[in-house]
Amino acid sequence: MKNVVLNVQDLTVHYKISKKVIHAVENVSFKVEDGEFVGIVGESGSGKSTLAHTIIRLLPINAIVVGGRIELLGYDVLSLGEEDMRKIRWKEFSMVFQKSLNALSPVHKVGNQLADAMKAHNPNLTEEEIIDRLKQLLRMVNLPERVLKAYPHQLSGGMMQRIMIALALLNHPKFIIFDEATTALDVVTQGQIIEEIKSLVKSLSLTGLVISHDLGVVSELCDEIVVMYAGRLVEHGTTEQILQQPLHPYTQGLVRSLPDFARERRLFGIPGNLPDLSESVHRCVFAPRCPIANEECFTTVPSTEEVDGRRVACLKVGARV
Amino acid sequence: MRFRTDFAKRYLSSRYGLAGLIMFLAMLIMALFAPVIAPYKPTDISHDMLSPPSKVHPFGTDHLGRDVFSRVVYGARVSLTVGFVAAGLSALIGIVIGALSGYIGGVFDEVISKIIDSFLMFPVFFLILIIVAVFGRNLVYIMLVIGLTTWPSNARIMRAQTMSIKEKAFVKIARANGESPMRIIFTHIIPNGMYPVVANSAMQIGGAILTEAALSFLGLGDPSVVSWGKMINDARSYMSFAWWSIVFPGIFTVITVVTFSFIGDGLQQALYPKLSEVRNE
Amino acid sequence: MSLLSVKNLKKYYSAGLVKKHYSVKALDGVSFDIEPGELFGVIGESGCGKTTLGLVLSRLERETSGEITFKGLKLSGTLKLDSDTRRQIQIIFQNPYESFDPRLRIEQSLLLPMRINRICDNDAERREKILGYMKDAGFEPPDAFLNRYPHELSGGQLQRISIIRAMLLKPTFLVADECVSMLDLSVRASVVNLLLDLVEREKTTVLFITHDLSLAGHVCDRIMVLYLGKTVELSTAKRIVESPLHPYTRILMSYSPSIFKKREKISVKKLDVETAIGSGCVFAPRCPYSFEKCAQQMPPLIEIEPSHSVACWLYSRT
Repeated sequence: MKNVVLNVQDLTVHYKISKKVIHAVENVSFKVEDGEFVGIVGESGSGKSTLAHTIIRLLPINAIVVGGRIELLGYDVLSLGEEDMRKIRWKEFSMVFQKSLNALSPVHKVGNQLADAMKAHNPNLTEEEIIDRLKQLLRMVNLPERVLKAYPHQLSGGMMQRIMIALALLNHPKFIIFDEATTALDVVTQGQIIEEIKSLVKSLSLTGLVISHDLGVVSELCDEIVVMYAGRLVEHGTTEQILQQPLHPYTQGLVRSLPDFARERRLFGIPGNLPDLSESVHRCVFAPRCPIANEECFTTVPSTEEVDGRRVACLKVGARV
Repeated sequence: MRFRTDFAKRYLSSRYGLAGLIMFLAMLIMALFAPVIAPYKPTDISHDMLSPPSKVHPFGTDHLGRDVFSRVVYGARVSLTVGFVAAGLSALIGIVIGALSGYIGGVFDEVISKIIDSFLMFPVFFLILIIVAVFGRNLVYIMLVIGLTTWPSNARIMRAQTMSIKEKAFVKIARANGESPMRIIFTHIIPNGMYPVVANSAMQIGGAILTEAALSFLGLGDPSVVSWGKMINDARSYMSFAWWSIVFPGIFTVITVVTFSFIGDGLQQALYPKLSEVRNE
Repeated sequence: MSLLSVKNLKKYYSAGLVKKHYSVKALDGVSFDIEPGELFGVIGESGCGKTTLGLVLSRLERETSGEITFKGLKLSGTLKLDSDTRRQIQIIFQNPYESFDPRLRIEQSLLLPMRINRICDNDAERREKILGYMKDAGFEPPDAFLNRYPHELSGGQLQRISIIRAMLLKPTFLVADECVSMLDLSVRASVVNLLLDLVEREKTTVLFITHDLSLAGHVCDRIMVLYLGKTVELSTAKRIVESPLHPYTRILMSYSPSIFKKREKISVKKLDVETAIGSGCVFAPRCPYSFEKCAQQMPPLIEIEPSHSVACWLYSRT
């Protein structure tokens, strides 16, 4: 039995937006074991980004953690004070965000910014040690040394993203979250970075999460996949289980939505729209769009059950066994 | 519809905007109901010259025995008229020229831009002064001239807005749909881009009022009209011993300009609400 | 006769008024024909010129040089079109929220182009047509949507309405520029299927621009692959997907994340190259198969097998 690095239990997070309460994450539970990467897949409004930000405690002021527990690397993340969080954030764990030209200050050279980030957590390092570490990191992410002397706007999207990864690896974290880290990149650049992440993760023995709307990206990087819909966890299994034999109707719909050359020209999708996340409902949140929903689905909230070697939150599936 | 109520809510959430709105409404009432509010006619002369504020004359009387309070109340009419007409004209011209310039581009835009830059470098007040001195001290001329010389700042704003809006998909689609450039400018670009100009106009109302007051103060105002600037000018010789004849019109001028500055602030807040901060928990 | 014929189309963007020294060659000599009723796909990554192609063909931007013939009529040289031709060429864009005037209700946004193009004789007839299309697109009840403002609808709904707006004018040629790229995966079907249904019904020819090779392969009849403003491969969708020839196409295929097939990724030589330099093949700096000739001369687009053209020295001798 491997060590559990991340344990999310019954996490519920709400946002307050002008008198309405948005139920962004509702009762989500899952574990990540040592050396594993778990993908969190979902579309707009699924809550995956909120989930990631809650784990590293970088939520906006109108967010409220209503309930639940997050244990990361032995820390009870939700009950730590801000000071303590600041000490371990970027040191024990870190996050790579979506390509954002705003991630680095445009008026300072990249090298200086990275060096600052290092000094913030390691005030005792010498200039030499810092430069050595930076060069080592650049080698790890396949960037030339000259990047240190460049300004952010002089770099391409792919290079910026690699710098973000280098930044995340700066202080030898044990746990890393990739939040849509390859979105907004060209297909080829995205593919290259995915390959690089794969080898980095292996060589550094990292554990982590990959948040993405892209099933393809997640399937390349992750051993397990958590599928989220409207704030709820609907299915959690190994990558192969989720992609080859999805059980939850939403997962099935999602997998079928991918264009498959073997099929006819028309695409498959999931009809209907996202539910209003400000409504608190006592039913399966996917029921209105579900092809197999029955009366029970509209009156009971499904619980996550172990079915067929994985976890599913579906009344019809649980009952089948 | 929801668009407008959101706008209204954001505007009212600004303290300055709210204050400015209230002050403006007070002024508007004062101007509209002047005959009811003012105890005397502004031109009524009396023997009670240069008397200090009293129960009969709350703001005292001027050198011709006229009630200062009544004159101040009626003066609001002039100020508001000048402010709105001049700033309105300036906005109208600025919006049209700015939109045309931004949309058409090319040489036309180059020329207009140079004109705009020239005006903005120039101390416009002197231009107004010269024109009024040459062409006559008529209130209508004054309003026209202010409008005709202050449009460049509005045009610059509208031009920038136009250049950004015309790149949007719905404008490109309008072109593909066969909409003529004029129709695009007046149906799509101006209605979507004019809000920052409106905010600027609020400030310009204050500016126009001040300009009129300054002209009157310099003796170039319309002599047939009761304006605060004129009151200040008339009272110059007496101000050392009849402070009320100059202070009250002065205060009201300042309050009015501040009112429109506040309104400008509120409009800014309504147009560009500050994004909520992201902070660590 | 082809519906659209493009010969040596170039679009260069330059900075500087007096000394136009810096040029971006968005399109650098592209030639192809589109047959009536075809779903012609244009594939490429950002900077390849596909969006520019869409803008130039829909006459929203003027080409720098080259010939464009539409139904035998010369379109190139001027952006001025007679109103009937203008109506026949329409476009849909990537961002659903920017595709509508935020101040107009949906109904207004649909009526206005119809009025301008004199579709139907009065508003009552126009509304009927609009309702028909809305119902076909699955909007129930249609009036509820027509009365709303764009910001009140979802991205998928707006894109479908964008398609309706274009199709109401009964265009002969429709440019769809990344029309589902900004939408969630499960929503794309409703948009793409509506597009497919309507263009089939009206026999509209479509230029389908996307960076998503799997989508293009699924939906299009033929696909043209662009790289830095040049055509590198042009063939039927089936051939492009099953046996891509150009190294760039093969790399694209290998990198398209797919859950159905585990593909061996082909590595590119250099990390990122922004603009083409020199007179050699545009792809040579990154091409894992390049040899001496590739750095010297840009290969011409040659038909290697029926309906399959490639611009690559690996396949042509001359």
